[in-house]
Amino acid sequence: MAVENLAVQPSPGASFVSRHRSALLGALAVALFFAAWQAIFLIVPLNPLFFTTPSLIAAGYVDLIESGDLLHDLAVSAVPFGLGLLAAVIVGVPLGILMGWRVRVGYALDPLMTVFYASPLVALAPLLVIFFGVGVSGKTIIVFTLAVFPFIFNVAAGVRAVDRLLINVVRSLGGRERDIYLKILFPSVLPYIVAGARIAVGRALIAVLVGEFFAASEGIGYAISRFGDIFAIDRMFACILTVMVIAVVLTEGIRRAERAAFPWRASQ
Amino acid sequence: MADQALDLNVAASAGRFVTPALRQRLESIALGTATIALLLVVWQLLPHVLPMQQGTRLFFTVPSRIFATLWQMFATGTIWAPLGVSATAFAIGLALAIAAGLPLGILLGRSATLNAMFDPFVTAFNATPRLVFLPLVMLWLGIGLWSKVAIVFSGALFPLLINTHEGVRNADKLLINVVRSFGASGWDVARLVVIPNSLPFIVVGLRLAIGRAILGVVVAEFFGAQDGLGVVMVRAASSFNVDVVFAGLIVFAALSLVMTGLVKIIEDRMGRWRPQRAGGE
Amino acid sequence: MAAYIQARNVKLTFRPPNRAAVSALDAFDMDVEDGEFLSIVGPSGCGKSTFLNVLLGLIKPDSGEVRIRGKKISGPGSERAMVFQEFGLLPWRTVQHNIELGLELKRTAAAKRRHVAERLISLVGLAGFENHYPHELSGGMKQRVGLARALATDPDVLLMDEPFAALDAQTRDLMQVELLRIWREARKTVLFVTHQIDEAIYLSDRVLVMSKRPGRTKKIFDIKLPRPREYEMRVTPEFNDLKLEIWNTLKDEIVI
Repeated sequence: MAVENLAVQPSPGASFVSRHRSALLGALAVALFFAAWQAIFLIVPLNPLFFTTPSLIAAGYVDLIESGDLLHDLAVSAVPFGLGLLAAVIVGVPLGILMGWRVRVGYALDPLMTVFYASPLVALAPLLVIFFGVGVSGKTIIVFTLAVFPFIFNVAAGVRAVDRLLINVVRSLGGRERDIYLKILFPSVLPYIVAGARIAVGRALIAVLVGEFFAASEGIGYAISRFGDIFAIDRMFACILTVMVIAVVLTEGIRRAERAAFPWRASQ
Repeated sequence: MADQALDLNVAASAGRFVTPALRQRLESIALGTATIALLLVVWQLLPHVLPMQQGTRLFFTVPSRIFATLWQMFATGTIWAPLGVSATAFAIGLALAIAAGLPLGILLGRSATLNAMFDPFVTAFNATPRLVFLPLVMLWLGIGLWSKVAIVFSGALFPLLINTHEGVRNADKLLINVVRSFGASGWDVARLVVIPNSLPFIVVGLRLAIGRAILGVVVAEFFGAQDGLGVVMVRAASSFNVDVVFAGLIVFAALSLVMTGLVKIIEDRMGRWRPQRAGGE
Repeated sequence: MAAYIQARNVKLTFRPPNRAAVSALDAFDMDVEDGEFLSIVGPSGCGKSTFLNVLLGLIKPDSGEVRIRGKKISGPGSERAMVFQEFGLLPWRTVQHNIELGLELKRTAAAKRRHVAERLISLVGLAGFENHYPHELSGGMKQRVGLARALATDPDVLLMDEPFAALDAQTRDLMQVELLRIWREARKTVLFVTHQIDEAIYLSDRVLVMSKRPGRTKKIFDIKLPRPREYEMRVTPEFNDLKLEIWNTLKDEIVI
């Protein structure tokens, strides 16, 4: 509607509050939530076997950080997480490019990959852990299994979405296969790789947790499970919140990077 | 798009049965099936061709044994009880997610204030693998149906919530104005514009939610349950009964594919009025 | 005798949440006679579309009055209907059901709705496309649906907000011819907002030039060209004289 098109400049008089309304409301909601959480146990008796309060969680954090346990567990979990993701990129991206570029390869592999992507492959985790062992290798394999498919699919989609016109342009200017790969394919596909990474990261986290819940002696998942067993709810929450923060930072971080680096792509 | 349809019609009426588009589809189906068949054959023959250590032999199973096990589980009826348990948790969790997610999504779509307040929580819980809450949920709800339902619910809620919200928010202001200009009340606006616009989004959300729900059942049963197909699988894994593990995976995968396939059909039928474009998650 | 539509001293200020207030209309006066075709031209942002929305009843002015047939306008009413620049067709409805929209809201019986829609579909030249969806139509066809939909409730006044702005030049010219044909048959009062002086002169009985924001009536031109208007009139000296006059009035208002 033409009515909406009145070109207005942001007024210098508009207050900080009105410009950042959404973020402030969100922060307010979070603050209220924690305040209410803390306050409710002033009225209701706290059963420390099942519940905890923000202040206790904070104390638990201090404890875990000072003892170095938190960092240690995170480091242990980070290794299979990182290795598995790396392997997923190394295998998934080229495979995705192949599937997207060579139409027949895509036809051949697509149903197979779809079945894999749609299956709860995490169901294989116990088997993988038993076969490959409880340590880094088992967990890495699970991470890889879960994280490779987002890359394959997103990259294949990215390659298929490459504007053929651009390829013709390069060819008409005398470019060879290598030029096409470097100058057209790679930049076009990069946003899809990053989008795939965003999904893969979530799945990789699940993979690490599954591996550690099932059979492990170290790692953040194991820590959560163990604290639960000994009813150390405050430290359990501390670890859960840590995982939450990491998950949010990673996925939202990638999302923002996507928006900044590739503003023309609508990130999903 | 209309031109394409025209071409196909012309080609068909010109007496050629196999149009270019048809050939493409046949080719893709043939290649896809052939690949799967080839893989199965290679897998089946592998132990005969490759020397294997004793330890690996323990684990290595072949398609024929998996399918035999699958067949047996159905023939003897041993699958139905655990499957029923899993299905119950799945259904209850998904139903609760729909019942909570749709109204909440509509609410958040209509109220920018509420949306801003809920946003940090939705973002945080959506980004976090719900699995991380399982030990806590088990602590609170014990080992049984309700901790499973909780995990399924928490997984399925977010695609439904987020997609419904998106659908409501996405309602074209122009269309709302158009409809209001013809004298529409608030309820008319919802009925004529907001709901039809949201339906495709909700259906996509449902499709995603089904996948997450199945995932939820599987992981919940791995760690926090006494019965269900997932429990059967994890016990089988511990006793090296690899066939049962794969059989269970096939059952879950098949259910997932069938259900999301059905939803996709509904999605496509509802999308008749949309210009064709590459949709996605 | 009071004019058919009367606007007196209309004032409207937009206050968007995070930005400075915008005065869209100020002391805006206007008269429209029954059955006339009046165009409003003005620079971008002068408030012409805003005024149309006030007439439609979707926005209330801060002060001032708008009356139609003596009655104050306080909301949408079936004696007024709008044709929108971006068409505004419900994408999930077929052409026929889009046209029936206004009648549905008036709780008209299905048989009557269908009858009216069918008549209008032939009037606007879309016979055979009843069951098509908007995305299958060209821009010109979509706007014809928009026109048919506006005519379906048999309003007295047709408000047209740059209806042809989204069309290419050739389609636009043809649509103007079509619009005049339909108007001759349908006999409505038309308020037509446009950027294009040619279009305004070709279509209208009078052309109102608005000042830049906040909008006021700057000058009104009588278009004395004979009806029915032929396309050839667009290249006559009289036409060009008018065009120059209007342009000279308008150009001082344009802010680049």
